[in-house]
Amino acid sequence: MSKTLHTRRGFLRTSLLGGAVSWTVPVFLERTFFTLDAMASQVPTGKDSPILVVLQLAGGNDGLNTLVPFTDDAYFRARPGIAIREPLKINDALGLNPKLTGLRGLYDDGNLAIVQGVGYPNPNRSHFRSTEIWQTASDADKTDSHGWLGRYFDSCCQGEDPSVGVSIGSQTPQAFAAAEPKGISFSQPEQFRFASEKASDPAAAEEFFRSVNETPSESNEGGSIGMLQGHSEGGGNTMDFLRRTALDAQMSSDKVLAITRKSKAPVTYPSSNLASSLNLVARLIGGGMPTRVYYVGQGGYDTHSNQAGSHERLMSELDSSLAAFVADLKAQGNFQRVVLMTFSEFGRRVAENGSGGTDHGAAAPLFAVGGAIKPGLYGKAPSLTNLHDGDLIHSTDFRSVYASVLQNWLKVPVEPILHRGFPTIGFV
Amino acid sequence: MLEPLAKPAWTPAAAAHLLNRAGFGGTPEEIAALHAKGLDGAVDSLLHAGDDSDLFPLPEAAVPEYMDKYRRRFPGMSEQERRKVQNEMRREARQLMDGLRSWWLNRMRWSPSVAREKAVLFWHGHWATSIDKVKDPFAMWQQNETLRTHALGRFEDMAKDVSRDPAMMRYLDLVQSKSGKPNENFARELMELFTLGEGHYTERDIQQAARAFTGYRINQTNRRFLMAGSQHDDGVKSIFGFEGNFSGDDVIGLIAADPQCARFLARKIWRFYAAENPSPELVEALAECYRRSGLDTGALLGTIFRSREFYGPDVVRHQIKSPVQWLVQLCRQMEIPLPGQSDGILRQLGQMPFAPPNVKGWDGGRAWISSATLLLRYNTSGTVLSGANVNFDALIPADTKSCDALAWRLFQAPLPSELNSKFSAYLKDHGTGLAARHDLVHLMMSTPDYQIT
Repeated sequence: MSKTLHTRRGFLRTSLLGGAVSWTVPVFLERTFFTLDAMASQVPTGKDSPILVVLQLAGGNDGLNTLVPFTDDAYFRARPGIAIREPLKINDALGLNPKLTGLRGLYDDGNLAIVQGVGYPNPNRSHFRSTEIWQTASDADKTDSHGWLGRYFDSCCQGEDPSVGVSIGSQTPQAFAAAEPKGISFSQPEQFRFASEKASDPAAAEEFFRSVNETPSESNEGGSIGMLQGHSEGGGNTMDFLRRTALDAQMSSDKVLAITRKSKAPVTYPSSNLASSLNLVARLIGGGMPTRVYYVGQGGYDTHSNQAGSHERLMSELDSSLAAFVADLKAQGNFQRVVLMTFSEFGRRVAENGSGGTDHGAAAPLFAVGGAIKPGLYGKAPSLTNLHDGDLIHSTDFRSVYASVLQNWLKVPVEPILHRGFPTIGFV
Repeated sequence: MLEPLAKPAWTPAAAAHLLNRAGFGGTPEEIAALHAKGLDGAVDSLLHAGDDSDLFPLPEAAVPEYMDKYRRRFPGMSEQERRKVQNEMRREARQLMDGLRSWWLNRMRWSPSVAREKAVLFWHGHWATSIDKVKDPFAMWQQNETLRTHALGRFEDMAKDVSRDPAMMRYLDLVQSKSGKPNENFARELMELFTLGEGHYTERDIQQAARAFTGYRINQTNRRFLMAGSQHDDGVKSIFGFEGNFSGDDVIGLIAADPQCARFLARKIWRFYAAENPSPELVEALAECYRRSGLDTGALLGTIFRSREFYGPDVVRHQIKSPVQWLVQLCRQMEIPLPGQSDGILRQLGQMPFAPPNVKGWDGGRAWISSATLLLRYNTSGTVLSGANVNFDALIPADTKSCDALAWRLFQAPLPSELNSKFSAYLKDHGTGLAARHDLVHLMMSTPDYQIT
């Protein structure tokens, strides 16, 4: 059992059992407490456990100009203006976008797997709905308020520190949403603390801050908790949610700060938001955070118009950021512990539109990068002539990718998380 | 449903709730004055506060020609010179944008027409466009004015004007959409996010509607809407089962007549002003009211602000403040101007006006709060208080023994007793010197309780 767990358990014991546990205790704390004692097994965290990094390419990445079928006439017919003629070949039929030189190198080194034609049945072309489907791993005709990573935290990380999931950014992704939410988010570690030093009595201010943000208040809303259950989104009431967030922030901020202050990247990262995010992830990994899942994002993929230049820039930023991240992890000796997977809510229409861009489509390839990855091409390349409404038909369900990562990398049972089994793919 | 609030329930706390939600809160004196008007008087005074534009001279961005002086220099320039001029242009655009943002935030802070500004904020999140793609401060100002004109008026008029604002035309690629090669971006979001909601149209409706919106262009002289007839597809379209030679305005008319449009918007308006999950019955009642008024947003808000449901225990003090609400309300409560670094604060907290994260606007609710933004709010309130000239003697008299008056100013609700006794103990231990009073206010703001309204 990890040290952080002791801390959390210790805290909950003192503040709940030591204090007055009454019916006014917020429901989430009560639940946390009971699950702590009911805990049968504990997933190990620490220096050796595997780490998953999820990289969201937001906006719908154009799969066909990422992994290019450069010998297919149908590709050039559909895209007279934006087809890529000279990709970085990986075999006789497919090549990577010319900007993906770093990924091409990783492919040769045996650290890159590409899964082709990933999607789901009855694809939805709304950014928001399709993102939700990917984040919650639901069927297209069902909604689920919890995320696939949230369900992983729920079923496999009970009682662990809130920093078991870390999202770089100011918002928590829906993938982390859970019955018992875990995961912290921040983008600037130096801001991730309560600045009490400016107060006239810093020690008192600090202590005061800790006490009002730690103790479950004897709330005047206590009586209405039951009544509000399931009324506000995500379950529980708003004050419970705020108190939990305050508690998680406070528990994690000392550790995050200590780690990011002492660790420094051994490699130079390019200047982009994505590179900064991955730099921060590498520092947290190197510093020994107990985090199992990191979540980062790169936006701007909604290339409806003048796609050529903008998509090139995105690919270039993605490639250089990933290259620096991999070099960093290798220098740390942590590359073997990390798998990074990309995803985007959908690919784009096969045919270009009248604005030199592409509209929303369906299936697309995704990347998995890591020291322990089994390299190569997986899944079947989708046909460019047998289309559905102008879109590619998926050959691999995205939940097969999730299932592979859960079962073969994080080593946890799939069904409690994805609600049913999916065939796994051999890339991890 | 939606019966008016009973007279005895119109308390100072109810008046404070109304001012917080319809506007951006205020001082105890402003709350008392609103309360004295009675419910109907209070609602009317908020929704019919009159035109405040005299108080706010136009921002510099309100000049269409500002980019021309750069463009005129382009012909005959080398690639290198051109790049230099483009950099100058970008720098000026950034300054104009900062000025525009500050102009609008100050309008929220000082305007007597608070309900209109709050509604403009709602509609900005609804018809979301971002300077990051639009790249033209004048267009962002134009759209802001369009939203202000119709904020409390008829939705259909607003929708037609918004579709012809250069900001939207650029943001969702209408300017590139032409007959034979329509761009679907606007047509899709119009139905999915702006009017009907997912599941209430078909992919074919989108493709057909996209044809109706072809030919929308920007007049480069006055930077306003221009219909390029040769690019417009005036053929017969089939939308929602209707056939006709529809224009873009016709499509908006068809949508506005669909009962689902009133339902979709009424729910969204309730969620913004009242609470997250209205019951299906409440949504129907609101939609019926909106429909009957001809989608008149001011009329719907009048009904909402008078209704019993709006003052219910699951509504009052159950909303997480948006970053803009949090900042403007803080300044109004503490009777201080907005801090100079408001832009940076709002960016970090996740609500940069004129730069929503995507076409869906801001998610709102719990999405405002993460471990990072919560700590940032705590720290930022301290910075704002230190940087402002707060008149602490007026807010907490030096001889004060209790925190009640201060708690009313900040929370407008009785505090949980445990929290209250902690604040009183702090006051007792640290005295009522200026520094201690400053710290106390900051600590009161550094609580989960201060994040809700």
